Amino acid sequence: MALDLSMPILVVDDYQTMVRIIRNLLKQLGFEDVDDASDGTAALARLKGRKYGLVISDWNMEPMTGYELLRHVRADEGLRTTPFIMVTAESKTENVIAAKKAGVNNYIVKPFNAATLKSKIEAVCGA
Amino acid sequence: MRMMAATRENRSQVSSPSAMVKELIDIADYIANLRDAIALLRANELTRHRLPMVHEELSEVVAATAGATNSIMGNAEAILGLPDGPGYRAAVEAKIYDIFEACAFQDITGQRIAKVAEAMSQLEGRLARFSAAVKARDANGIDETEAERHTRNEALLLNGPQKGGPATAQDEIDALFA
Repeated sequence: MALDLSMPILVVDDYQTMVRIIRNLLKQLGFEDVDDASDGTAALARLKGRKYGLVISDWNMEPMTGYELLRHVRADEGLRTTPFIMVTAESKTENVIAAKKAGVNNYIVKPFNAATLKSKIEAVCGA
Repeated sequence: MRMMAATRENRSQVSSPSAMVKELIDIADYIANLRDAIALLRANELTRHRLPMVHEELSEVVAATAGATNSIMGNAEAILGLPDGPGYRAAVEAKIYDIFEACAFQDITGQRIAKVAEAMSQLEGRLARFSAAVKARDANGIDETEAERHTRNEALLLNGPQKGGPATAQDEIDALFA
């Protein structure tokens, strides 16, 4: 299955620089429809208002973390199937295992490159 | 009357006048040392100058880093958006020189961080000297706000970046998702 480059993607990160980096990498991969949110609460509001094909979220944010966002998404009947990739500096195995248990589809450790992002998107969204 | 006499007798049993004088001298010495230790802490200088300077320098570092990042990213985005044509190389070179210029922030921020590190080192030294002088012991329990933050960090696994790079390599993570 080929990647749907028209699918809307939500990038969640409290650092605008990181949002900009991910936006540019996604643009390089051919994705044009990218929204962003600065924490889990803002992301949830966006997710309620639009159907996204993928969420790419940081972990460490205030007031709602990416881990909490993931749990909210998986607990919500309408959102639970939304593909979710965690992109974070949280690299302890306990973080990875907790995210996997909570239903994350893939996990990228910062710093990362375009190839890693692409391979994870392909793995999650089907290539 | 009988009770007062008994109390006086008890006191004389506990400490003789010479022992009491010695105790008072010890207490006076301790207070004098404590005053010296407090004076050496130079708390006013710390709170009026050093710590505000640390805040200011770190704010400058954050601003300079953000400014440089914006400039570097803006120029990189501009390069990606340049049209092909005869002027392409010259335009790319101009943007690259702008990126070099933006990278100069590291020299200035390095100097600012060195000032902060020096101030922190002085603070550490003064607190260590004070702590030793007054034989300070830490009180039991921790600040309520600190305790809440600690609980939240534990519950949400907010470990932060690890020293020396990721604790788990991307390959190992990938294996968990294979």
